[in-house]
Amino acid sequence: MIKIPNHLEKQKEVTVTKEELISFETEVKERYESGEILAPVHLSKDNEDELIEIFQYVHPDDWVFSAWRNHYHALLHGFDRQQLMDDIVAGRSMATSSNVNKFYSSAIVGGIIPIALGTAMALKKKNSDNKVWCFIGDMTFETGVFHESYKYAKNFELPIQFVVEDNNLSVHTPTDAAWGVRQEVPEDVVYYRYENGYPHHGTGAWVNF
Amino acid sequence: MKYKDELIRSMKWLGEKDNTLFLGQATAFSGHAISGTLTEIPKDKLIELPVIEEVQMGLCTGLSLEGYVPISIYPRFNFMMLAINQLVNHIDKMKEMSRGMLVPKVIVRVAVGATKPIDGGSQHTQDFTESIKHMLTDTELIELHEPEDVFDAFVYSYNRNGSTVIVEWGDYYSEK
Repeated sequence: MIKIPNHLEKQKEVTVTKEELISFETEVKERYESGEILAPVHLSKDNEDELIEIFQYVHPDDWVFSAWRNHYHALLHGFDRQQLMDDIVAGRSMATSSNVNKFYSSAIVGGIIPIALGTAMALKKKNSDNKVWCFIGDMTFETGVFHESYKYAKNFELPIQFVVEDNNLSVHTPTDAAWGVRQEVPEDVVYYRYENGYPHHGTGAWVNF
Repeated sequence: MKYKDELIRSMKWLGEKDNTLFLGQATAFSGHAISGTLTEIPKDKLIELPVIEEVQMGLCTGLSLEGYVPISIYPRFNFMMLAINQLVNHIDKMKEMSRGMLVPKVIVRVAVGATKPIDGGSQHTQDFTESIKHMLTDTELIELHEPEDVFDAFVYSYNRNGSTVIVEWGDYYSEK
């Protein structure tokens, strides 16, 4: 299930295919399991269709902010495949960033949200036509820093689009069980529900380094 | 010149730059000692924020990614503790994490709260300078102990490729 707010307009056709996304993560998986990657990896699987649809609305000159599970977002925002793979092998799976692609990711829960907000403020001050996309998980959506930032962005009409990627998990903690009640996602936020085909961290296989 | 006058001169100099913005609580409105050093800055550069200390620090980082040089103002060290996550985990680490591609330039102004003539007490007057120094790797921290330190510190911070925390002391506003 995916919800795209009516105010969004498609910006492009996505050329990266579902097969290419899956193939990329498979290569990361294999290189991780071989002991080549000596750092945590966070892999995506089974949300390819949703992300390909969402990235049709992302202009190549927009900023994209993501979290620790960011490989798909980076590829869909124009990262060079080999450069991204090199970064991951070098231990940067959780922090892929680029000024060329206007992309920043972070492994601190909620950390990207205020930064994305500030970049949106800058774009508005410059009268730019571009916007900021901020991809967050369901547990991050429940944090105070999201609600402060969402409220500020909405009140000052900043060009930022939040996307909630809901697998109802933070590591292995079910968000609904931990919070008791889930907050309702606002209508102007992109939302989709999925079950990740990989565990939170690693590949599910025991790796002897 | 006196300590506060040098701060006003420094802010005026920064305010003349095209890409600077001044953000925090009591920037466009009065409210604390630092507010009184922002009097020479064009009003459209003063962005009054709600009490959102962590968001404020991150918001300044985001502004800097698009070329602005934000001056992020915290009137007391104790208040800035709520923004430490953004300072330590993002401003200070972004350059390293991005292989030098993203280098935020944020100037953080923070004051050790005054104890004279009124002592604000333990939640308003603590000095975390040494602790913060130990937390930072790429971000510089500069202490403003004398009036003659002030202007050069802000010029240096504006010109360096990276972020700077500048610590001032509320008591010096009246003493020096």
